[in-house]
Amino acid sequence: MMRAVMALAVLIGLGLLKLPIERNLAALHRQEHFRGVEFNLDLREKIGQLGFIAALSGFRAIVADALFIQAHAAWENTEWGRMLLLFRHITTLQPRVLLFWDTAAWHMAWNASVAAMNDQKQPRLALRVKAQREYFALGKDFLERGIKNNPDRPDLYEALARLYKEKYKDHERAAEYYAKAATLPGAPIFDRRFSAYELSYCEGREREAYERLRGLYDEGPQERLPTLIKRLKFLEEKLGIPEDQRIPDKENKTVK
Amino acid sequence: MTNRENASTLQQFDASTRAKRYRALSLSRILAITRNTLIELTRQKVFYVLLVFALLLIGSSIFMAQFSFQQEFQILKDISLGAISIFTSLLAIVATARLLPQDMEDRIVYTILAKPVPRFDYVVGKIAGVLLLLAISTLVMGAGFLIVLYMREQAALHATMRQMSGAPPDQLADALRAVRSSAFDADLFPGIAIIYLKACLLAALTLFVSTFATSTIFTVVVMAFIYFIGHLQATAREYWLQEHGSALITRVFLAVVTLLFPDLQAFNLVDDIVAGTAISLAVFAKTAVLGVFYTTIYTLLAAFVFYGKEL
Amino acid sequence: MTNPAVAVHGLTKIFPVPFHRQSIVAVKDLNLRIDPGEVYGLLGPNGSGKSTTLKIILGLVSPTRGRTEIFGGDSRLVESREAVGFLPENPYFQKFLTGEETLHFFGRLCGLRGAALKNRVNELLRLVRLDRARNRRLGTYSKGMLQRIGLAQALIHDPRLVVLDEPTAGVDPAGSREIRDLILDFKERGITVLLSSHLLAQAQEICDRVGILADGVLVREGHLHELIAIENQTELVVADASDELVRDIESLLSRSNAKLIARRKSTTTLERLFLEATKNDEGMTKQK
Repeated sequence: MMRAVMALAVLIGLGLLKLPIERNLAALHRQEHFRGVEFNLDLREKIGQLGFIAALSGFRAIVADALFIQAHAAWENTEWGRMLLLFRHITTLQPRVLLFWDTAAWHMAWNASVAAMNDQKQPRLALRVKAQREYFALGKDFLERGIKNNPDRPDLYEALARLYKEKYKDHERAAEYYAKAATLPGAPIFDRRFSAYELSYCEGREREAYERLRGLYDEGPQERLPTLIKRLKFLEEKLGIPEDQRIPDKENKTVK
Repeated sequence: MTNRENASTLQQFDASTRAKRYRALSLSRILAITRNTLIELTRQKVFYVLLVFALLLIGSSIFMAQFSFQQEFQILKDISLGAISIFTSLLAIVATARLLPQDMEDRIVYTILAKPVPRFDYVVGKIAGVLLLLAISTLVMGAGFLIVLYMREQAALHATMRQMSGAPPDQLADALRAVRSSAFDADLFPGIAIIYLKACLLAALTLFVSTFATSTIFTVVVMAFIYFIGHLQATAREYWLQEHGSALITRVFLAVVTLLFPDLQAFNLVDDIVAGTAISLAVFAKTAVLGVFYTTIYTLLAAFVFYGKEL
Repeated sequence: MTNPAVAVHGLTKIFPVPFHRQSIVAVKDLNLRIDPGEVYGLLGPNGSGKSTTLKIILGLVSPTRGRTEIFGGDSRLVESREAVGFLPENPYFQKFLTGEETLHFFGRLCGLRGAALKNRVNELLRLVRLDRARNRRLGTYSKGMLQRIGLAQALIHDPRLVVLDEPTAGVDPAGSREIRDLILDFKERGITVLLSSHLLAQAQEICDRVGILADGVLVREGHLHELIAIENQTELVVADASDELVRDIESLLSRSNAKLIARRKSTTTLERLFLEATKNDEGMTKQK
């Protein structure tokens, strides 16, 4: 028995030794975004006792996936409220999985909003529009929080830009977010183009848009896509760019 | 031939052969015990039950085909790696908890230690057998997982090619690349290696607890408790080191938890690997070293306590 | 003077019982000396401290007070066990191993390898007559066979001292006989034997010296023939004596100071009868 006590004492002593190593490792994890999730009693109430224990024991991914499957089932039953709740839990458990933020936003801003707009049970248009806009806001919120948790990845910025473009018709914000996405590693090459496109729709930002589009055009044939050429020509007209500075007519090429 | 006639022909080793034989730390002695332990463990039903269960679980993810391929791969990887994690952890604890008590109950420990076998060699040989068993299990389950992943990846690639049969070649190439990159990730291997090291740590810790535990049930219950607390150790640690307003008893409690328990959460890299975060060499190396450190310390402490144990 | 095979000096072992003030005194101030080549029997009822003493001699349990030595070396050192082979009470070997594999395992533990190990295993299997059963799993062995494989593993590293804890407990008469023959043969080859038993008749047949333990104390010790000889009595066993001769002897005795205590027909032992009867394949009873 004495030996066991001595062994425990040694463990505590070694505990002091390993403490800085563990902290260092944890800091390294945080730096590289290997983050755990903050646990609090709130979460426990939300996902139930068993789920909480499972999540605590290192199985939060599986708990999140199980909830995701439930959310899928809820979608098939168009239970938007339940879906919202589930996605809140899912993104709390797995803040680094982009898929979950993206899917959550998509369900809210694209699916639930349409369902709200076409809701047969709501005769008043004004209230249907209100519900629709609430869902837009929920989708936006998911993407914004997703970005906060994943500032280094372009995917959610793009999704947010799309949301602004398609749902809010806010081209300025869309351009802003496409631009942000473009600066991040792993961003697809079209983000810069899309940013410039969106900008070209903004009142008062035509000059800036033109400069950008022209810059892209000048980079080479890979950027000279039909849409880019179309927008460039449109801006050239609007800004009254002199003939000698305009891009050559490529009408025979676009007509096939 | 009677016994007595037989015995007369029995050779006697000379003194020099005898003197050469005993060495304080003998690898062949340890290996003999390791091999023996491994054979003993692979004969236990619990090993096969757990293995089959894990493989079934991994295989069941084939039925996730109703989701998009990204979602499907996500779920497949999470379930498989979760299965590998829990089954190796469970196997580590259950297989090791009975190791020493079984030998003592069966008296075979007397026959072994009555030979010129130091208790240290015996303990090391035993735990080495368990670590070998865990390695085999991890490899089998890992192989199962990779096979299923490959099969689903192929299915997704074919489906994509069918869907995009009319699309321009560079778009098709992009789509196929997207499927491939969300399926296989080279970082899965270090992630699985770290899962294995966590199981090794748990095995060594179970061995240590079993040296002073009164029964196998006690060991298993204590280990379940340690498993749970170990995942919270990180939270306790930060709280202890940063909170400045709490009562003394809380701080003492948190300090004990922090110093006494290993940080098991640090070995859960797969959740984030599956989410797409890359694992740097620094993180992998430090985590691996931490795992080896814990395993070694617990084994040494187990040998230390066992050394004084009354048989 | 050469070192004794086993030397026990003032050995005391107290087992503390948790939550009780009274501890268990298993062995009290024991002194023993066993010379090389002897067969020594440590006798006593269950719970008398026999097993504990053996375990302390083998270094498996540490003494509370006192010292034990094997061939001059402290028995707590691992090296001292090079010279000792041990057969524990009711040994349970791993049932899934065959006889041969078991011996190989123990041989490797003792540092034997390769051809030397193989030869040794073959020799020992022949010695204990388990050659034909070598590839059968121990789970299929009878009790007697298990004891014999136990003896084999005790000898695997050619020890000079063999310690046997209840070697014939639970073994049938034929098996017992074989084990006893083996023990007598060890003696012939100069191997020291320390055995503990509560089967007194069997111990009587093979031991040179005995020690009797009761409640952890050595109450009697000495050479067997001295201890059990009844000092003032003499036995004469006579064959082919006529009744008249017997009457003459009796009247001679009645005229002297000696007293005739008993006159009876000599008997064989039940064991010999049993062995002879069971050796007969037809199962015919033999008249004696």
